Amino acid sequence: MMMTAPYIAQSSTVEAPLSVEMIGVSKWYGHFQVLDSIDFSVRRGEKIVVCGPSGSGKSTMIRCINRLEVHQQGEIRVNGIVLTDNVRVIDQIRQDVGMVFQSFNLYPHLTILENCVLAPRWVKGVSRKEAEERAMGYLERVRIPDQAGKYPSQLSGGQQQRAAIARSLCMNPDIMLFDEPTSALDPELVREVLDTMVELARDGMTMVCVTHEMGFARQVADRVVFMDRGRIVESASPNEFFGNPKEERTRNFLSQILH
Amino acid sequence: MDWVYIYKALPDLMNGLGMTLLISGVAICLSLLLGVIGAALRTSGIRPLEMLVTGYVEFIRGTPYLVQIFFIFYGLPSIGLKLSIFWSGALALTIWASAFHIESFRAGLAAVGQGIRDASASLSLKRWQHAWFIVLPLALRAALPSAMNTIVATVKNSSYLQAIGLVELTFVAVDRIAYEFRTVEMFASICVIYLFCVFILSGLGHWLEHRLNRPFAGR
Repeated sequence: MMMTAPYIAQSSTVEAPLSVEMIGVSKWYGHFQVLDSIDFSVRRGEKIVVCGPSGSGKSTMIRCINRLEVHQQGEIRVNGIVLTDNVRVIDQIRQDVGMVFQSFNLYPHLTILENCVLAPRWVKGVSRKEAEERAMGYLERVRIPDQAGKYPSQLSGGQQQRAAIARSLCMNPDIMLFDEPTSALDPELVREVLDTMVELARDGMTMVCVTHEMGFARQVADRVVFMDRGRIVESASPNEFFGNPKEERTRNFLSQILH
Repeated sequence: MDWVYIYKALPDLMNGLGMTLLISGVAICLSLLLGVIGAALRTSGIRPLEMLVTGYVEFIRGTPYLVQIFFIFYGLPSIGLKLSIFWSGALALTIWASAFHIESFRAGLAAVGQGIRDASASLSLKRWQHAWFIVLPLALRAALPSAMNTIVATVKNSSYLQAIGLVELTFVAVDRIAYEFRTVEMFASICVIYLFCVFILSGLGHWLEHRLNRPFAGR
């Protein structure tokens, strides 16, 4: 799929400090192991695309980063802070980590502007005026400033997802997690959301994206991570990943989604 | 039908209506409050509290309303709790309506999905902020139609309180009938008055529902 302008992945991020570190992370639902000793790290400014068949644990993995899921073994560090049960720790990490969901999860009873203003005002203590200015700034960036006064149900899926991205950015996170952000969209609306994400990548945001949009991965990712059955099977640059995948399972997966 | 008789009885009936509206109003306000609190406890995840609220709801829904009224008015004084007729009635009506409101609001709370909770968590909203700004408004909207049913039923059920001597609309009618035997005039009159009240209330409910749902298509 064609994107706006070419984005060139930067190699300078290799020396950047670690934003996210997962060391031997495991998780079970009852007897079923969803995550199996995951070792995964993201440096500041890096863009990682996580892919894999459904049920491979990719959503669960990124949901562990901001504690929407609790891991049972191993260690997770976000900006150097070890994720524990401590409410203050969780709170601090969640303020650094923004998240965009498959089904947008906008608050249906609040306007787009109110959706964007709520958390900065009440969590960060930003004044109403400043929060609204910030929100309008981000809504302009995702190109829906004219929708600010509308309710989520009045917007198209693509607009809703861009509003959700803006809402998340209003907290000034330094890491953004995307959990299949285009999977619930009609095909013709996918591109406007991907374009927004490409722009965000170009501005240097640290991003972890669970997605099946391989065009996006090729264009934006510094690294593509392939997961299967709760394990990271392969992790490589997009060129290597698509040009010369090492693992049998990766090749099978790619042959299924790249027709 | 003796219209002149009805006309002459109107001041009495209006006094009765005043009491009906007063006691219903008190019970509606208190029961809505208790309904929200009860539903919150019912879904709190604290087992003993959940069981207590469930037990309460089942007990109230499983016993006749008139028996509850008699229990409060005649039963409670014998264990040392003597309330006036008005407060006995208000208590009975509140206790009855609360049970139904708890069920409505519980369903309303269930309508707030996991996705919305995830969003609030990822934005690091505190529990109370999520409850106040997000869950309460969404749950109230979802619960509104069935809560309106209970509110309307509260007004109608206030008529049972004539059994303990509360001088409300039904009491006034029955009292006059006992002396003057104008059965048709009196019962027809209070039926029309009750209908009128219910009509106004339902209209208010529909208006509120429409207003709250105007921009927002559920979920």
